Amino acid sequence: MAMLKINGVERTFSDPLPRTLAELLQLLGVDAATVVAEIDGQIVRKESFGVTPLRDGQSIELVRFVGGG
Amino acid sequence: MDRLTIAGRQFDSRLMVGTGKFASPQIMAQAIEASGAQIVTVALRRIDLSDPNDRLLSAIDQTKVLLLPNTSGARDATEAVRLARLARAATGNPWIKLEVTPDPYSLLPDPVETLRAAEVLVKEGFVVLPYINADPILAKRLQDVGTATVMPLASPIGSNQGLKTRMSLELIIEQARVPVVVDAGLGLPSHAADAMEMGADAVLVNTAIATAADPVAMARAFRLAVKAGRLGYLAGPRGASRLAQASSPIEGLLQ
Repeated sequence: MAMLKINGVERTFSDPLPRTLAELLQLLGVDAATVVAEIDGQIVRKESFGVTPLRDGQSIELVRFVGGG
Repeated sequence: MDRLTIAGRQFDSRLMVGTGKFASPQIMAQAIEASGAQIVTVALRRIDLSDPNDRLLSAIDQTKVLLLPNTSGARDATEAVRLARLARAATGNPWIKLEVTPDPYSLLPDPVETLRAAEVLVKEGFVVLPYINADPILAKRLQDVGTATVMPLASPIGSNQGLKTRMSLELIIEQARVPVVVDAGLGLPSHAADAMEMGADAVLVNTAIATAADPVAMARAFRLAVKAGRLGYLAGPRGASRLAQASSPIEGLLQ
């Protein structure tokens, strides 16, 4: 069992964790092109999604643009 | 050609448009088109993982408009700086509308935290457009720090009350060495024209367009009002006088 905190919500994975951030986004059905990601407070560059490994217990923020003034 | 220049970048339109509160992305896209805006604000929020599809960016033609992300939701300088960095990672450009509004009741911007965040962001190379209360001293302090504009409010955000801060806006415009963008509270095209006649360099409108019965028509009305107000300002209006001044000659009257 491994856990990731995604957008403030803890999520456990019975199988091994997705290997990279790109794989996690795919699993969640999120289009990587429109996302900004932060892992433990550090911004992950879009080009690095595919080579950014995930580890048990990390806190991940996935944000994107919405309508605003 | 009378163009708006912000941080060395030129724009034909002096109307900026916010993308909040539209009934659908399609109506938003049509309204942006009708407004002629070349700068469009957006907010940054957590993705809803139960509904992860993007509905905004796909509707905005980024070859025609510059995305201006805001730091809305930030309650202090630290949160604003974090949001600005995330926004820059998303857009790939350093333009940021700095907003720090800790009080959910008034939604008025915090001047101390805004100045603090502006200092950090300017040092990090951001093009900072700070949303502020109409405070001439704060506007000057921000300009000294190196912000690209100042964005004083006309009245509380979303209130549609028009130019309640007129006297302070006049002072800000008089002193400014950076473009003054009147933001927040403009509820009618006439309010926008009024701000432009005063000498504002641009205005930002969201609620008044997005929540109108016909947002696309309202976007067009604001576009024309901003143009009319700007032309009126450039034409050099004569001030008001207390008493009547005859328009027709007072000589040569029939006896």
